[in-house]
Amino acid sequence: VFMPIQKDPEGTETMHLLGLTGIANKNVLEIGCGDGRLTWRYASSASRVAAIDPEGVTLQTAIQALPSGLRGVASFACASSLSLPFPPATFDTAILAWSL
Amino acid sequence: MVHALEEIKRSLGPNGTLIDLRPLADRWPVEVTTVEAVHETGRLTDLPAGLSDDEAANSAMEETARLGWFIRQEEHIFQMYIYWDDPQEMSTYMSERWADFVKLETETLQATQLAWEETNEEKHVRIQMKMLLTRWRK
Repeated sequence: VFMPIQKDPEGTETMHLLGLTGIANKNVLEIGCGDGRLTWRYASSASRVAAIDPEGVTLQTAIQALPSGLRGVASFACASSLSLPFPPATFDTAILAWSL
Repeated sequence: MVHALEEIKRSLGPNGTLIDLRPLADRWPVEVTTVEAVHETGRLTDLPAGLSDDEAANSAMEETARLGWFIRQEEHIFQMYIYWDDPQEMSTYMSERWADFVKLETETLQATQLAWEETNEEKHVRIQMKMLLTRWRK
């Protein structure tokens, strides 16, 4: 069901995230990406983003909404943080996005 | 939760950064806003499950520090807003999505609807969410 809702239209969360984390040119793992709401806001600063979520339905929303400018930067996988489908030492930064 | 953090540690390179970004239960204010004014109409009630989730997450991160997996570097607390088009949409959303961890009390919903009906200006209803952002280094 579509719900008209706006999360952080002021961009406060993004400002704090970018200010504290130094994502620029980093290889980033996002855990709990959901529909990609947060991913779109920082991914253009990163070198690459691998975004995972265990919920396939919301992940499909993220995949379908992937901005064309982020193709080649952001990729998505249906996965749990209990078993990450990546080799050791793959990422510079991991973001627990409302998921701990 | 600690096992997931061990997996994340494995996936990070040397000196990798872990960002813990999440809301914190804190009786989030409900507000009706116009261009000129913000009217707080009440606060959400934190439910035990939401408070337990925060405690479990905090404990898990402390455990990773104790184990030497991650070192806390910096922490920010800030507020962010979530907006709905009207109080009923907010109420429906909360009952469908957030019923496990917060409650919009009837009195707060009524006060919000009253404040909503009392203004003819362009208006929004929102909650002010308390957020935690912590940077940890591997």
